[in-house]
Amino acid sequence: MMLFSEFVGHEDAKLALILNAIDFRCGGVLFIGEKGSGKSTLSRLFKNLLPDGTPFIELPLNITEDRLIGGIDIEKTIKYGRRIFQKGLLCNADTGVIYVDDINLLPLEMATLILEVQDKGEVLVEREGFTSRYPSRFILIASMNPEEGNISPHILDRFGMCVLWESLKDKQQRIEVIKKAAFAEIEQSGQRTSSDIGLKKKISSCQLSLENTGIPEPTNEYISQLCLENNISGHRGDIYLTYAGRAWAAYDGHKEVSKDDVDKVSALVLTHRKRMLQEIEQKLDQSKHHHENSPEEHEKEEYRQHAKNPKRDFDRERLNKIETDEWKDSNRQRVESNPKEEIFEIGTPFKIKRMFFKKDRIYRTASGRRTKTRVKDRGGRYVKSVFRKRKDIAIDATLRASAPYQKMRGREDRLIIHEEDLRFKQRERKMGHLVIFVVDGSGSMAAQRRMIGTKGAILSLLTDCYQKRDKVSMIVFRKERAEMVLPPTRSVEFSLKKLKDMPVGGKTPLTAGLLEAYKLIQRVRMKSPETRFLLVLVTDGRANQTMTGTPVRDEIKRVVDLLNELHVTDFIVVDTEDKKGFIKTDLALQIASQLRANYYTVENIKSEFLTELVQIKRKGLS
Amino acid sequence: MIFPFTAIVGQEEMKTGLILNVIDPSIGGILIMGEKGTAKSTAVRALADLLPEMEVVKECPFNCNPEDVLCSRCRERLRSEGPLPREKKKMRVVELPLGVTEDRLVGTLDIEYALKKGEKRFEPGILARANRNFLYVDEVNLLEDHIVDLLLDSAAMGVNTVEREGVSFTHPSKFILVGTMNPEEGDLRPQLLDRFGLCVQVTSIQDKALRMEILRRKGDFDSNPSQFVKIWGAEQKALSQKIMSAKGKLNTIKVTEDLLEKIVHITLSLSLDGHRADIVIMKSARAISALRGKMFIDSEDIRGAAQLSLRHRLKRFPFEEIGKESEKVQAVLSRIG
Repeated sequence: MMLFSEFVGHEDAKLALILNAIDFRCGGVLFIGEKGSGKSTLSRLFKNLLPDGTPFIELPLNITEDRLIGGIDIEKTIKYGRRIFQKGLLCNADTGVIYVDDINLLPLEMATLILEVQDKGEVLVEREGFTSRYPSRFILIASMNPEEGNISPHILDRFGMCVLWESLKDKQQRIEVIKKAAFAEIEQSGQRTSSDIGLKKKISSCQLSLENTGIPEPTNEYISQLCLENNISGHRGDIYLTYAGRAWAAYDGHKEVSKDDVDKVSALVLTHRKRMLQEIEQKLDQSKHHHENSPEEHEKEEYRQHAKNPKRDFDRERLNKIETDEWKDSNRQRVESNPKEEIFEIGTPFKIKRMFFKKDRIYRTASGRRTKTRVKDRGGRYVKSVFRKRKDIAIDATLRASAPYQKMRGREDRLIIHEEDLRFKQRERKMGHLVIFVVDGSGSMAAQRRMIGTKGAILSLLTDCYQKRDKVSMIVFRKERAEMVLPPTRSVEFSLKKLKDMPVGGKTPLTAGLLEAYKLIQRVRMKSPETRFLLVLVTDGRANQTMTGTPVRDEIKRVVDLLNELHVTDFIVVDTEDKKGFIKTDLALQIASQLRANYYTVENIKSEFLTELVQIKRKGLS
Repeated sequence: MIFPFTAIVGQEEMKTGLILNVIDPSIGGILIMGEKGTAKSTAVRALADLLPEMEVVKECPFNCNPEDVLCSRCRERLRSEGPLPREKKKMRVVELPLGVTEDRLVGTLDIEYALKKGEKRFEPGILARANRNFLYVDEVNLLEDHIVDLLLDSAAMGVNTVEREGVSFTHPSKFILVGTMNPEEGDLRPQLLDRFGLCVQVTSIQDKALRMEILRRKGDFDSNPSQFVKIWGAEQKALSQKIMSAKGKLNTIKVTEDLLEKIVHITLSLSLDGHRADIVIMKSARAISALRGKMFIDSEDIRGAAQLSLRHRLKRFPFEEIGKESEKVQAVLSRIG
């Protein structure tokens, strides 16, 4: 048997759990970390620290809303002929723990609901004819792997604490981990469990001393000041910091909460809140980049250096590293060929800005992660039941609707279901897209090795496509014609290979490239009319090769008009033209405006890692 | 009649990987990468057939092990009726079709029962049938995302907890996950790759003599299956006994500190995420050593285990190519003694 107190490393995570066990008002904890680093293992061991009989509910990803909140109890309702309520997991979790593994994979509505209940300490039931409230105070523990997708900042903010963790790098510690994991079942438990029992006792005695642990005025002041200095938005930071500080003081045996106690826990409470702020700061910094450092700026900078918890910044770096390190070694190779036709290496990729799609109401069968769509066939997640008729009957909801009337309708054996009882399933799943890259491979792109940055940009977009489960296709136009170098595929490996080997040189038949994309879209639509498309045009706009002999700009205009008729397509234009150069054509910009495309330059398509995680204003489709 | 496991020609890595999972199911399954027609599903079926029967609670749809964690139904039965009756069952291969829906996978409200009786009952899904069996997912990379999430959720816990459509139910769901994929048809997220304990690559056999041998055996089997099975009977029995005895002595196998250090050295020098790789190498080395009938794990076991456990974990990013990485493994492995 594994023990909580013997869990190797991750002291901050253990501390966060202990503090929550001492005072559930600490607001729960979120573990963010890479796969297989022990997040779930530790969370489950947390059980050992709680009094016997404490509810510990692991929330399965398959949960439906009625089981979460509660709803009509079919069996009893039919039997007694009146509505009888069946409590949901949130009610059952009262005074206990809810553990959500991979919270970022839980439907957003569910996650929001859980956090709202945690915040209020009660469940409000307003469904299937019930209006009631039940107490529901629980410690929420959740884990997530950021590689799997991000979490809404609103949800992040609701967590009292957040711990970023990575797997241990220390050799001896790793050996300990293997031993514990591989030989856990063989070892004798017996006296070894005593360490957890001791910790459990200590926690319950701390709970008693909690009320007697005072918070002197200076500490209160210090907490507010700390939150102000860190620009923590809202008051959750202050509140959680107070509770956490007090819990720590009680745990460490202090009569009152000192500044040191606050410092001890501030990283746990503020890390994830501060990050939001840093994003804003960065934006601010960028916008007034040309200003000289003002005195306040200077002070801020100084503060940052003297940050009470250097760990904070370290953590951020660490998260950044998770993202960038993976790129470093690969993709550096450069293939030389004749000077006219060059193959450039791929520039360092980066996290790109979120690509938005318009929502529509077409029912689809596609699968992917980018845009949520209503689902036509029976796949996808059953979100809720609705009245609107379709083929997919939600039997559970139908039964619930009919249950109260069974006595009245004189049921003898089988249930009597009337048409008005029928409910239908509304399913949802995120839909993928076909993302078509139309890439300029002409000679002008080779100038000043611009192709390297461009390839980096494309690779970044490809990464995004991968995470969102899009299909991708690539068309390259150069010399006399456009060529589809990559037919629609989900394999990113292929796309990478094609990208690597993409040669550059020759004239710029931009029209041909766009036309090829247009043809591809038409073809795919014939086969699967539900697909949505994203056309990413990457060019410096120096079109100089016509297909028909008409002036280049007229020709482009014509194809653009064709493309505009495609209502299922969104456009992105990435302009690689050197804007500081002598001759600017800004043709890419013109095309972008004609297509109503999102327009980026190679420079501004970059966005910092975690932007999605911390974006304050998010109107996204999640 | 099922083609005997021992009569399958070649594909040694795949066969070993499967056997190791039987010896220690906590290794966490196996991902088989490769083309069609390389005896992937034949091997899995044949292995299930080879193994002796296991003891289950009689008539339990979840194949509960009477000695282990029970399902909600068996727990209830134990409380009301006392000791549970037992029966013997063969290990099976449960297939997960690509178009599977969420409710069929995890189980759901038994609709017919509810309509007829007005009572709730849990209708077991695929995860129920998979308990203590092989769960075979052909082309796992084409499976819908949310299905994969659910699948891994219960694979990780060994328990399927169902909270949906008015029913609450828990049953054990410990299965040996066997996934196949053809990498050209799309990737599997690295997070999912990591969840598979082992990974092997299969290719069609190029050796002419071996290819002819395959044809010969296949022909013999097809024309007179019972005769063929009889001929291979002794070998089958020997392997089955070897596997079961390895399984029995797994917990007695020892490992020295410096070998653990070697494992960590391998994973650290390849800078792998998480501890799963360490643990899987350890567990498979232990199973290999048990299969070889030894009492101690040695470097050779570890090398063998690392070969099987690392291939899919090195691909830390979707765009990295697998080929180059396996050179890295070889380099690191050759350096350990």
